[in-house]
Amino acid sequence: MQKSAGPLFYIGLLLFVFVVMFPFLWILLAALKPPGELFGERAFHFIIQNPTLDNFIRVFTERPFATYLWNSTVVATLTTLYSITIASFAAYAIAWLSFRGKTIILGVVLAVSMFPQIATISPIFMFMQSMGLTNSYLGLIIPYTTFALPLAIWNLTIYFRKIPSDLGEAAKVDGASVWQTMTKVFFPLAMPGVFTTAILVFIAAWNEFLFALTLNTQEAMKTVPVGIVMFQGMYTIPWGEISAASIIVTVPLVVMVLIFQRRIISGLTSGAVKE
Amino acid sequence: MNRQNKGSLTEKQMGYLLIFPALLIILVIAIWPVMRSFWISLHDIRLNDPTKTEIHSSYGLDMERYVSTLPNLLRYVKKEAETAEGATKERLDAVRQQIEQMHAALSQTGEIASRYEAIDQLLLEFKPVPAELKYVTLSAEQTETIRTTLATAESTLLELGAQKQLSKPEGAVGVVSGIKSSIIEPNYVGFTYYKQFLTDNRMWAALYNTFFFTVISVAIELVLGLGIALLINRPFRGRGLVRATVLIPWAIPTVISAMMWKFLYDGQNGIVAHLFEATGLVSDMGVLLSTKAGAMFSVILADVWKTTPFMALLIFAGLQTIPQSLYEAASVDGASRLQQFFRITLPMLKSTILVALLFRTLDAFRVFDLIYALTGGGPANSTETISIYAYKTMFAQMSFGEGSALAVIVFLCVALISIGYVKILGADLLGEGNRR
Repeated sequence: MQKSAGPLFYIGLLLFVFVVMFPFLWILLAALKPPGELFGERAFHFIIQNPTLDNFIRVFTERPFATYLWNSTVVATLTTLYSITIASFAAYAIAWLSFRGKTIILGVVLAVSMFPQIATISPIFMFMQSMGLTNSYLGLIIPYTTFALPLAIWNLTIYFRKIPSDLGEAAKVDGASVWQTMTKVFFPLAMPGVFTTAILVFIAAWNEFLFALTLNTQEAMKTVPVGIVMFQGMYTIPWGEISAASIIVTVPLVVMVLIFQRRIISGLTSGAVKE
Repeated sequence: MNRQNKGSLTEKQMGYLLIFPALLIILVIAIWPVMRSFWISLHDIRLNDPTKTEIHSSYGLDMERYVSTLPNLLRYVKKEAETAEGATKERLDAVRQQIEQMHAALSQTGEIASRYEAIDQLLLEFKPVPAELKYVTLSAEQTETIRTTLATAESTLLELGAQKQLSKPEGAVGVVSGIKSSIIEPNYVGFTYYKQFLTDNRMWAALYNTFFFTVISVAIELVLGLGIALLINRPFRGRGLVRATVLIPWAIPTVISAMMWKFLYDGQNGIVAHLFEATGLVSDMGVLLSTKAGAMFSVILADVWKTTPFMALLIFAGLQTIPQSLYEAASVDGASRLQQFFRITLPMLKSTILVALLFRTLDAFRVFDLIYALTGGGPANSTETISIYAYKTMFAQMSFGEGSALAVIVFLCVALISIGYVKILGADLLGEGNRR
């Protein structure tokens, strides 16, 4: 199947890249267009006559977009830190220690990761409301565990299994305790896997919508995805501002993807492919 | 082995200890809510009706409401009696006595009397009433007493009002219904909602939409993903660029990609709608988001754009694990490219494709963000999936019991789909669990 690529292939490839990137590029153009060019006869033009950064400015001056960004950052970071910590212990145990019931535990973790969010929303909402935790960071971080923890355990387990277990045996022979083996031998080797998993969990938490939509309804506590969707009014949709906000959120993600693409891909595919 | 400290744990104990927090959290935050959802779905819970905001297993009294409404009723009746004359006055006094007797009977239960005092004090001081003080359980007998007393009071007041014997007849209904709403009925309704949904056309339409969306979009994603994976599975320059490109749709928050597509599909200014009209794919730009078929098509296209990369990446990773020697041997034996694809590539990819399909099918079946932001389920519910229906029932109508029943239906479908896939995949999915 290995055939070197000809010019036709590259043309096809460019076309493919263009099609995939097109919505993103078009939104970038929309964000830079003044209202006069966004609608009406110039709506379909690729070239902007009077490019402007007004939309980007308005997103921050007329809307609490900076607050949304901060909220999303806090919630996604704390969710990542806490679920990675707890998941690391669990994954270490599953991958490196011998005890019974591992398959069942992994099965439960996988099953929980497939739970539809909507099936957990009503009790979680009622609970958060009765505890006064709606419109708080904690009120989002707790339910985010439902997807973050299984995702983290599953990915970390796969990574940790790849670390040769002989190292653990060797440490044991040398008289290291389980705790010492874990902290001195294992974790340094596991850091790349932990890091990759952290990226995946962070993106998942950053992108979450249903819990954020229902639990944090106050303007000051909204996260980015909810905030952007709520830009639209009853009768008008401020496309320029929505586009600018979308670009602001997407650019860091794109940068992150460009830097960590190898890690992300290995993280995404490691569960599905046996090596 | 004596070098181990006396207090230190064996490997097995350590294993359970390390895994315990994760399991506990999963149990409390994921498994318990699902079971609780089912339990809620058996109750008539409405967050916009103060007597139904929680599960009530027996008759009860909302003391806060009772304390704040009983004096109103008594005051109203007393005031009317002062201005009334003759028979009307007697009847009003009788009503007041009955209500007072009812309260006295209730107060014989020491608990109600003492709580009445406590809550009255709190209300006077404008302090919130703690939940543990708020509800008292009533016996069936007590409930009956309250009900009959209030019913008599209401009918008497309405009758007198109709005869123009009251000075403020319009206040009568308010004061009585105020105190009536402090009676809490058990809101267990059993499987009523499930039975109701069995004959609910909207539920079946939503289920159909969900399945339609899932099958069509996952099928397209599989074919495209396989195509892309095969295409890029060769050495060429700029692989990094292509890889990054396909990752971007995956990384963007779903709702944001939905908003982007909403702009592209826009009936007046959407470039994609414009292109489709120009190429004759649609008769009019407005068709995409304002007709039933157009909206479903739009949703599927947006989903395909967003998730094909994921499919392609998984399959691409699977392709790279197929040993090159297999193809070399096949070429030596004279197998054509097509034969190689069907005899080597596909069989070797089987488990990868199945796992990818499993994840994608479940994701597509749970679809919420995309449709919420892109069409909101419309037009005319044509893109309303079961998750959207459940969300609307819960958060627009505030009917949590009913909405939870729909959520449980989503859960059951997801469970059935997973069981189906796991049956086909067998132990492959967790097989690695036995590796050590």
